[in-house]
Amino acid sequence: MNEQPSVSEQLYDQFDVILKDLYRRTDAECVLLVDISGQLISTEGQLRQGDPVQVAALAAGDVAAMAELSRQIGERDPDGSFLHEGERKSLYLFNVDDSFILIVVFRSSRPVGLIRLFVRRAAERLHPLTDQFEQIMGQPVPVPTKEFSAGLATELEKAFDL
Amino acid sequence: MFVNWKLREINLKIVYYGPALSGKTTTLERVHAKTNPNMRGDMVSLKTRGDRTIYFDFMQLELGEISGLKPRFNVYTVPGQVYYVGTRKLVLQGADGVVFVADSQKHRLDANVESARDMVKNLRTLGLDPREMPIVLQCNKRDLDSIAPVPVMRRQLGMTQFPTFKTVATEGVGVFDALKTIINRVASKAQNQI
Repeated sequence: MNEQPSVSEQLYDQFDVILKDLYRRTDAECVLLVDISGQLISTEGQLRQGDPVQVAALAAGDVAAMAELSRQIGERDPDGSFLHEGERKSLYLFNVDDSFILIVVFRSSRPVGLIRLFVRRAAERLHPLTDQFEQIMGQPVPVPTKEFSAGLATELEKAFDL
Repeated sequence: MFVNWKLREINLKIVYYGPALSGKTTTLERVHAKTNPNMRGDMVSLKTRGDRTIYFDFMQLELGEISGLKPRFNVYTVPGQVYYVGTRKLVLQGADGVVFVADSQKHRLDANVESARDMVKNLRTLGLDPREMPIVLQCNKRDLDSIAPVPVMRRQLGMTQFPTFKTVATEGVGVFDALKTIINRVASKAQNQI
């Protein structure tokens, strides 16, 4: 196994710092950072109900759909962000430069204005990291080919119980 | 694909694509039902009352650690009906591999061809090169009467170069071979030869 690229580790550390700060300021149940295609990057806090991986996939679909809906009604530069206000829990999704989605799950008693404000601030801090993230995405993974292929075959046998 | 070095996870996205009622959801349901529960998440299905996929189906396959990394495959289906073109495009975004599920019945050939063209167009729009994308072809419903021969389907779909599987998704026949093949191809592409 090769040494891991330190640039990735540093990037993830920066994500975590931003998420931790957002989590603390919003007093949220959970804060998630997702890439625009729906893959979960990082979380802070814990969902009391639900699977973060599924929340990530659904949020990406919703953000893309909301951006398209906005375009349909004539918005020029829709960001695809939206708020769901529930009876007990609410959800705020925010599209950051079409690279990331910030998701905040919070108690409905929290003032929505504050949530929006802190999410926008977090998005501003994420903004300079988007280019770096795009570069890392899709890069080949440095693992020994033979070992990985054999391991994959074994794991697939286990997964599909063949 | 992206690698979370902190959690040591490789995240890869596989999409089942194809025309309406070709068996994409059924395929994923069979895969989900037959996958070790410790190695998969719940399946999310967004369907209409008529049981048609309106948005997408989704499940995550979580394999154990290999060479110090944990592969995570996020598997989606697209809605096949023609007017959900926008949804298909967004589900295809960031895909690392595609399983094209074609309906083998002769009267569905045109629908298969239209869907294959739609897929190529959407991949290009998203900046993904269809020639570089790992794709496998699943010729589904092989148990029905009046089905087209597989070589004819491959030729008409322009998919002669892709691995092809005869499947009966309702019984799970062939679907695991197709999925294993796309997983292996996606993983091979993700690896760096050293």
